[in-house]
Amino acid sequence: MTDTLDKAATDTEVSTVTTMTMASALNAGLRAAMERDPKVLLMGEDIGALGGVFRVTDGLHKDFGGDRVMDTPLAESGIVGTAIGMAMRDYRSVIEIQFDGFIFPAYNQITTQLAKMHYRSGGRITLPLVIRVPFAGGIGAVEHHSESPEALFTHTAGLRCISPASPQDAYDMIQQAIACPDPVMFFEPKARYWDKGEVDTSLVEQKLSSADATAALGRARVARAGEDVTLIAYGPTVRTALLAADVAESEGTSIEVIDLRSLSPLDSATVVRSAKKTGRAVIVHEAPTTYGVGAELSARITEEAFFHMEAPVMRVGGFHLPYPASKFEHDYLPSLDRVLDAVDRVMTH
Amino acid sequence: MDAHGPLSSEGLVQLLTHTGERVEHDTYSAYAADLTPERLRQLWRDMTLVRAFDMEATSLQRQGELGLWVQSWGQEAAQVGSGRVLRGEDFAFPSYREHGVAFTRGVDMPDILKIFRGLQHGAWVPAEHHFHLYTMVIGAHTLHATGYAMALDRDGLTGTGDPERDAATICYFGDGATSQGDVAESLTFAAVHNAPIVYFCQNNQFAISESVTRQSRVALADRGKGVGIPSVRVDGNDVIACYAVTQWAMQHARSGAGPVFVEAFTYRMGAHTTSDDPTRYRSKADEEFWAERDPIDRLTAHLNAIDELPQDFQTDVAAEAKELAKRTRTAVKSWVRPHVLEMFDHAYAEPHATVETERAWLERFERSFADAEA
Amino acid sequence: MPTFEQFKMPDAGEGLTEADIVTWRVAVGDTVEVNQPLVEIETAKSLVELPCPFDGKVTQLLATEGDTIDVGVPIVEIDVDPDGEAPPESPAPSAADADAPAPVEQASTPAPVAAPETPPSAPIDDEGSGAVLVGYGVKPGSAKRRARKAEALEPIGGDGDGDSYPVLAKPPVRKLAREMGIDLNSITPTGPGGIVTRGDVEDHAKATSAQTLATYPGDDQPWLESGTSTQDGRATRVPVKSVRKRTAEAMVNSAFTAPHVTEFLTVDVTATMELVAKLKADRDFADVRVTPLLIVAKALLLAVRRHPEVNASWDDKAQEIVYKHYVNLGIAASTPRGLVVPNIKSAHRLPLHELAVELQDLTAEARAGKLSPQSMSDGTITITNVGALGIDTGTPILNPGEAAILAFGSIREQPWVHEGEIKVRWVTQLALSFDHRLVDGGLGARLLADVGRVMEDPAHGLVWA
Repeated sequence: MTDTLDKAATDTEVSTVTTMTMASALNAGLRAAMERDPKVLLMGEDIGALGGVFRVTDGLHKDFGGDRVMDTPLAESGIVGTAIGMAMRDYRSVIEIQFDGFIFPAYNQITTQLAKMHYRSGGRITLPLVIRVPFAGGIGAVEHHSESPEALFTHTAGLRCISPASPQDAYDMIQQAIACPDPVMFFEPKARYWDKGEVDTSLVEQKLSSADATAALGRARVARAGEDVTLIAYGPTVRTALLAADVAESEGTSIEVIDLRSLSPLDSATVVRSAKKTGRAVIVHEAPTTYGVGAELSARITEEAFFHMEAPVMRVGGFHLPYPASKFEHDYLPSLDRVLDAVDRVMTH
Repeated sequence: MDAHGPLSSEGLVQLLTHTGERVEHDTYSAYAADLTPERLRQLWRDMTLVRAFDMEATSLQRQGELGLWVQSWGQEAAQVGSGRVLRGEDFAFPSYREHGVAFTRGVDMPDILKIFRGLQHGAWVPAEHHFHLYTMVIGAHTLHATGYAMALDRDGLTGTGDPERDAATICYFGDGATSQGDVAESLTFAAVHNAPIVYFCQNNQFAISESVTRQSRVALADRGKGVGIPSVRVDGNDVIACYAVTQWAMQHARSGAGPVFVEAFTYRMGAHTTSDDPTRYRSKADEEFWAERDPIDRLTAHLNAIDELPQDFQTDVAAEAKELAKRTRTAVKSWVRPHVLEMFDHAYAEPHATVETERAWLERFERSFADAEA
Repeated sequence: MPTFEQFKMPDAGEGLTEADIVTWRVAVGDTVEVNQPLVEIETAKSLVELPCPFDGKVTQLLATEGDTIDVGVPIVEIDVDPDGEAPPESPAPSAADADAPAPVEQASTPAPVAAPETPPSAPIDDEGSGAVLVGYGVKPGSAKRRARKAEALEPIGGDGDGDSYPVLAKPPVRKLAREMGIDLNSITPTGPGGIVTRGDVEDHAKATSAQTLATYPGDDQPWLESGTSTQDGRATRVPVKSVRKRTAEAMVNSAFTAPHVTEFLTVDVTATMELVAKLKADRDFADVRVTPLLIVAKALLLAVRRHPEVNASWDDKAQEIVYKHYVNLGIAASTPRGLVVPNIKSAHRLPLHELAVELQDLTAEARAGKLSPQSMSDGTITITNVGALGIDTGTPILNPGEAAILAFGSIREQPWVHEGEIKVRWVTQLALSFDHRLVDGGLGARLLADVGRVMEDPAHGLVWA
């Protein structure tokens, strides 16, 4: 990262655009936030000298010290609970839960305390924590390392839940999440950690007040415009959705891809506007379709765009099973073919 | 009591027997040295008022004015004795029974009943009283207290060398809570980070109907020993000892020497809440035994014995107690539930689209009725 | 001024809906203080002492020791201002006060207030209870709806935002339009928010189909009504529906299932005509229409009596012939909606006058289009009055399920050999078609001959009656 900056400084014009992986973008975003505010702390297991199991916190321990980049005891509930106590003295902790499947010991603290403290205190206690969760699958892992538990959190009032799908969004959104006064569940698609993309590091600077950062976090993005079908995705499935749109285009179907970015709140307006335009909607996420985020979107589209719909809203996602062993993974996860099947089916109407 | 393990009276620090005699302790007598008769009278007044409030709240519940009440009856010495030690930036994290601590932290007592009247979940401003809200999830707050203590340390308020500047956190929880994982994790974090926190466990011997023997086979203070921090057992009905031990513990923590575990051995004189029926799991004999060990009675006996409880003082305090009870009753009956739309306030610090949409909908829905307010 | 407060049985929080009064700790007239023990109650679990909620004087105990009282029901009344001045008129205190009590003197004995007539199981206000450890308990919800204002209901399903999005229509309407081959975009919507309704689609279908051609006379004929003109306007396609459809089906069914044979008989019906004239003048028949058809009907019925084997039906599936022991005489009728064959039930039993009445009613109903499906079912034999249309005879097709049908032609004056001489006589042709599977030529002939016999000489009917 430092090499890139040095190089940039020797150019006649300082370019703020670089190509980086999502993991690096997160790293850069965390660094920027820590430089900006001394009250920003990182807490998690193995985030110090190791730099995190995905190297997202690489180099930060060295530059900011063990006080600000804290290797914690192996106790997720303890991490979240002590971070809550520290937030009562204005510390903004960014917690890393090592893997999605290990968030459950902390579920009590997250749902009964973190989510409810602002409401319980009549607005007197603010807990501006960010809980980073490497989530979703596709990395051939053993049990508990490929979960998509986001619906368990979106269903809890008091939390904000977001998921970046690109390095640019990862860079911007981690900083906005830190600036947001509400607790934020930050779901990072681990299968995308090594995807590269262009990141303009200047974009986010102006928009970091509480209000601006929060508002920016809540917006969906039209990743690709289209006319025939609205395809909604977030996190790891945005890439799948864009691939599906390419294939569909070659077959004569024009797909509009929406990257939700924010799960709670949902940017209903963007989604509904698109659904009204195309009259056909398909939602794709790795989490099981049963009782998932797609079900909420389907309900909203039905309530708000019923008379515009040419076909029922379709969802493509995981099956109602514990996440399977990795050899089954690619049959479990929503593939390009399953997405296109849903597209074909809505196109028959 | 001749019990073992968690019900044992062995090694309890005591400075005032249950019949009102003062006794000395090698280590802790020194920490009660500042308790002049004047100060003892203040402690007596504190406990008397707290009990009067507690009894009034109980009556109010029995009269249908509160959905529930959680009595602190019998635990006044542990709460007032420890609470009166706190000063400066010290911060207390209660569970949900620490009305005695609330009193010492300047909470306006009737406010507590807003919770039990069903009007609010949290009824005071923590920062104003250095007293956190009540936490209903058992043991969850011990982590918050630990984090807060870690932050005090970070903020340079621990071991500064200036005792007036130093601060620490005190965290209250019961015997049942010691079984919760979060309590264990709190001790782990506190020990590893050398956090300035006093864990004050009120072993009132029951978690609803379950005896503390269901939570542990050893004295609860051994939990502290388990993570390597100093641990003390004190007679929880002895206000002088509670004061002294807490004084020592807070000074220890404030000085940067690290966490302390204090177990105050007391007795929950009433039921778990007004919905509980203790006759189903404990005996009258048990309750009578502990009634003889009442925290206020023994101080009364002592002050009378040293002729430091003048009648006019008692009369004044009685009048104060009556006034507090009356004021509490009047307040409770005067409260009106706020407008339904206030239910949507404070779910988030910044506007959340779903909440805003739903609030607007409920407003329209309420206005759609023929009998709606104009 | 005496102010009466009532204390209602509280939810003691033990998961109760009721409790028993065990021991009153106070009596009427006692001065009481807040929190003073008032009464001991017994819940399902234990004894609980209720503290008094008011300062004042007990004026009434509203429950007796031993009573079981529901939560929310008043148990005691206390005057909270017993020493206050009474106003000149009656005090208006307690909620349950039904009658205005007599003016009260100072203190002790205020006028009695009628005890509340609350039935034992009626909690008041928002009292309610359930088994909870941690709060007020279950609150019985309202069983009645709050009245809404007129325009209360908010629309759902989205509306036209003014942007050019696809046509608004709900899925079933879209499906209908697709089935009818109508492009939604061509329809003018009348639904709220610019939605195309089902009615809109149907209206559109009707409107676009009723294209009349000004060029050809008679092109505004009723039978073209539900049709669609072809592109070049030279033809109109009308969907086959209802009566027409059923008639066609019946005809096809009959014609291509039963082997039809038709036999003809020319009959001198002068005597029938004389009879008709006589009956018309007969007072007994003054209330009915008498026509030759009536006589034919009777003749056929008499003939069927002599040859009941024709009153049957060929059940091909069961390979059985079903001989019916009743005659439901069908009369083919031409109505604006098409050909229908209602039948006179149990015509074999009807005397001539009743037969005439039935015939008349049936004809009227057919004309009015008011025939019930029942009247057109279970016919056993039919007459078709082709003569009414001015033709001599025909080869009628059996009404499905029947074995014979008689066509009764027009009655003309014709030269005839009568008693050896050429005379002008009333002559008609009868044609009988029958199902050759169960009626052979001989049987059919005999039946037809009998019909002819009666018509030639109605008096002969008396012989067979």
